[in-house]
Amino acid sequence: MQKVLINCFLILALLPGCGNDFPVIENLGGSNYQLTNQNEKEVLFPDFVKGKTVIAGYIFTNCPDICPLTTNNMRLIQERLEKEEVDNVQFVSISFDPGNDTPGVLKKFAEIRNLDLNNWTFLTGDKPVVDKLMKHVGVVAVPGDSTVFPSGKVSYYYIHTDRIQLIDSEGRIRKNYPGSSINIDEIINDIKSL
Amino acid sequence: MRIRFIFYSLFLIPFIVNAQQNKNQSSKIEVKDAWIRVSAQGSNTALFFEVVNNSDKPDTLLAAESNLAEVVEVHETFKRENDMMGMRKVNFVVIPPKSTVKFKPRDLHVMLIKLKSDLKVGDKSEVTLVFKNAGKLKAEAAVRDMQMMMNR
Repeated sequence: MQKVLINCFLILALLPGCGNDFPVIENLGGSNYQLTNQNEKEVLFPDFVKGKTVIAGYIFTNCPDICPLTTNNMRLIQERLEKEEVDNVQFVSISFDPGNDTPGVLKKFAEIRNLDLNNWTFLTGDKPVVDKLMKHVGVVAVPGDSTVFPSGKVSYYYIHTDRIQLIDSEGRIRKNYPGSSINIDEIINDIKSL
Repeated sequence: MRIRFIFYSLFLIPFIVNAQQNKNQSSKIEVKDAWIRVSAQGSNTALFFEVVNNSDKPDTLLAAESNLAEVVEVHETFKRENDMMGMRKVNFVVIPPKSTVKFKPRDLHVMLIKLKSDLKVGDKSEVTLVFKNAGKLKAEAAVRDMQMMMNR
């Protein structure tokens, strides 16, 4: 009898975890942010990727270290998914520095790295819209150190959340990862089991 | 004539000795595996390398020089709570005796700010590292992307 009770307790204890590997962190589905892609085409995020699993990364192109690593990790994820024939996944890199990251700058950032843009979109937009989106997705980016050019111009570098997100086909954020040091196997498994 | 020779000899000896010491010191500092991350004109990127100090004395990296960018600074990436990452300028980096300091991704790096032209995979460029004791050391840095670094 005692054994049965213990087993029942264990089953009950495990039940809440079932199907809850990816709790909804934030629902973007009800909102649409008007952004511009690298080809200067306006899109509504996340509406334009609705129905697809989304891997979202948050970057600024003046970043010399963390954001290139995040971008490269997204490329590795993209390549693994292609190799394992997992489709219906869209990659989105969103700049939190729209003042510098124009569509042209983002396009060049992708081109010089030979990124496959067939299922990968780079996005920028008006600063108030981008700021609102960053708050919604939980990404913080604040100006930190700066460089003063000989001309007197000052360039600021962001202290920012190091983030890649897994977003489901309904626009709900389901898991956060450290963008520059993400475990590729982990997110590949998560995409498959979402 | 002889007095003049002795005078000039005595005058020059300290300079000769000092130059020899600098030469010895510089040969004890090695810069290895220098590479630059691919990036576009007008943007920024990072230079990575290893500094090996074979001597019994510490040396200090004071600065870096390159014609590739408008501004060149030594930086470090740092981590804060809640997955926050940032970077800041550092004024010097001590290279302890008999040790290697790695300038690598997510860590110390030389930042090349506002590139004068595109840096594509396969490009090469000379960079100069300025040390307190070893003086100016030149190194050739190859432009690589992260894929190449991971496949090495």
